[in-house]
Amino acid sequence: MRLTICDFTKTFDRTTVIKDMNLVVEDGEMLALLGPSGCGKSTTLFAVAGIHRVDGGAILFGKRDVSHLPSQKRNVGVVFQNYALYPHMTVFDNIAFPLTIRREGKADIDRKVRAIAELAHIGDLLARRPSQLSGGQQQRVALARALVRQPDVLLLDEPLANLDARLRLEMRSEIRRIQMETGITSILVTHDQVEAMSMCDRIAIMDQGAIRQVATPSEMYRQPASRFVAGFLGNPPIVFLDGEVTGDGGFASRGVSLPLPGRLRHLEAGRPISLGIRPEHVGTSGGARVSGQVVFVEPQGRETLFDIELEGGAILRSIQPAGDDARVGDRVDWAVDSDRLLVFDRHGNAV
Amino acid sequence: MPFQRYLLGLGFLSPALLVLAGLFLMPVALTGIIAFTNMSISTGVSGGAHVITGNLLTGLRDDGVEPAALDRLAETVFEVTPEALARARAAGVDPAFVADIEERLVGRRFTDGRAFERELKGLPHRPRAIRDLKVAADLFGASILNTRFADAAAARQAVVGVLPDAPEATVDRIVAASYTGWQWTTGNFARLLSSPDTLRLIVNTVFYVAATLSFTVFVGLFLAIGTFYLPPATAGVFSVLWLLPRLTPVVLYAVMWKWFTWEGGFVYTAAEALGLPAFNYMKGSVPTAWTIVILVNGFIGASFSMILFSSALKAIPIQQLWASEVDGASRWQQVRYIVLPQLRWPILFVVSYQTLSLLSSYQEIWLTTNGGPGRTTSVWALESFNTALNNYTGDLQYGLGAAMAVMLVVVGVTLSVIYLRLFRFDDLVGRPKIEF
Repeated sequence: MRLTICDFTKTFDRTTVIKDMNLVVEDGEMLALLGPSGCGKSTTLFAVAGIHRVDGGAILFGKRDVSHLPSQKRNVGVVFQNYALYPHMTVFDNIAFPLTIRREGKADIDRKVRAIAELAHIGDLLARRPSQLSGGQQQRVALARALVRQPDVLLLDEPLANLDARLRLEMRSEIRRIQMETGITSILVTHDQVEAMSMCDRIAIMDQGAIRQVATPSEMYRQPASRFVAGFLGNPPIVFLDGEVTGDGGFASRGVSLPLPGRLRHLEAGRPISLGIRPEHVGTSGGARVSGQVVFVEPQGRETLFDIELEGGAILRSIQPAGDDARVGDRVDWAVDSDRLLVFDRHGNAV
Repeated sequence: MPFQRYLLGLGFLSPALLVLAGLFLMPVALTGIIAFTNMSISTGVSGGAHVITGNLLTGLRDDGVEPAALDRLAETVFEVTPEALARARAAGVDPAFVADIEERLVGRRFTDGRAFERELKGLPHRPRAIRDLKVAADLFGASILNTRFADAAAARQAVVGVLPDAPEATVDRIVAASYTGWQWTTGNFARLLSSPDTLRLIVNTVFYVAATLSFTVFVGLFLAIGTFYLPPATAGVFSVLWLLPRLTPVVLYAVMWKWFTWEGGFVYTAAEALGLPAFNYMKGSVPTAWTIVILVNGFIGASFSMILFSSALKAIPIQQLWASEVDGASRWQQVRYIVLPQLRWPILFVVSYQTLSLLSSYQEIWLTTNGGPGRTTSVWALESFNTALNNYTGDLQYGLGAAMAVMLVVVGVTLSVIYLRLFRFDDLVGRPKIEF
């Protein structure tokens, strides 16, 4: 079911935290709401769930306006960060709760619960209580409970935040598998870019109560709409150099000069811009070159991360397949893939 | 280092052990001991003497002791002895008259007062007034009735003196019965078991505990859940208001209830103005008296349980409530299926704690209805207190009161053991987290 958020405004104690927000999640799509803490992504999610009231605008499930319906009448499934399982009920009763409340038949409930438990791979845990489950199992139960009554929209609030690194990897693909199998329109709230990029069809990146860009993960990584988006995505993070356009379609800053990407050669000279250079575009291939001294080396196993200090004092970051070719103090002269450089204007918008 | 560990444990425990010994074990032990005596205000708590009283004789007669012997014990014997003469002189009887008696009647013994008086009338210096003559005659009379004997031997000697040919068993019985100090007995329990009042007291106590406890739990739950869903400021005002019964000193609280319900009180005046029956609600009828007893105690309990339930409610993560709403639960279903099940332990705790404290608490009843009207609202603990320590006639029966208290302790300890098992106390006391 298609979810439409239209001019949504949310106010807490006369402080507007979200103003005139617009977002469409297509039928069967999984969309990530990505952003730093306090950007309003959970607020948006809870407004869709009906837990928070809508102070302005409208929320539509398909063509149905649910803006002023209580959460009981919205038919949404929510997975909370701490799972919010009912500690006094067994796994079966937890999953069956939404159906029990609707007074569905016993046989119906039993069949649906067992089917969804099978899907979530927790068929053998139904008699246990939440306190007897591991974090990953609790997560699966929470997911099963959210899905069992076939919600119009599935909402996931930082579902992986309380899991350890290994489980997080496992549950990432599990949640995506289950979402794709059920085909339920979903929103995932997360502050983790890897989760957002690996699990979702599209990402809506939020900052200070507003959506900055909505795009597919790879599009957003390659063509960020703003300096904020470019800085938020990517690990290790991008490096920005502030400078200006030179006469020959290049860029100059504090002793660094690099050619601009081919499509931007026409920029007028003297225009102040900033250049975003991702670590993977330094030191491997490309037409331009920079030289400097290695000041920091961080082996990461498969790859090694270098910081190199250029003559003007600017620091560039480079990530390369592991090898032992450079050490701290070495002088290096590395290639830069200038066609993939990102260029932003004074206001931080992509040029 | 087990020894060191035990020592540290004992060190931590010692204040509690001292309090336990001084405030619980010792009183319980003393109560247990006194329960098996017939101690009362008339026996005193130290030793006693031997006195044969008229009441005692009546009692013995009822118990089947030979009436003739008892009659003789009650008789007064008039004997003219040097001691009696000295007594008469000291009492200011005419010395000439005394001299007459000494001269003519010394050594004589009369078992009949009339005969002695006749003899006196024949003396030359007899007093003019018959009254004076009777006073003088009485001074020569002696009876073992109401005479104090320091020990059993003296009492026996006196009894044998009056009844030289009585059988040994009768004498023993009379001497034993004449003891005024306390004695060991199981009579208190026998009396409690046989008394028809006991059943009524038990019914009263069970009704009082059950009704007050229900009020406590239901009103406490209602308040806690109600304030939980109210905005914080409003909830705060309600909580403080409902805490007042617990905060108010108990005597002041009881006095306020009296102002409320007595003649001319608030409710009385209001009822009068509305044309409703107005009387002293606290003592005027049994239903109103019970209502007041239950409300007075219930309000205190309700504020206690409200605090407990409120804090338990705040421990439920808000996401669980959100989750249940998203799952479609109405407010009532949320309370029924999510909130109440998680209040199970606090509810059990309030029930067990309040049962025990209500069983043993009587101060609120004492200060308000004092068991009235009549003894309709009296409960076991109050009756025990009144029997042992606060009798209107001053006839304090320590032994019987202690026996009642002992039965209360037995019931209380039994209930606590049941509740501790219910609470799985061994689960609560886990292994120590710090190792020595």
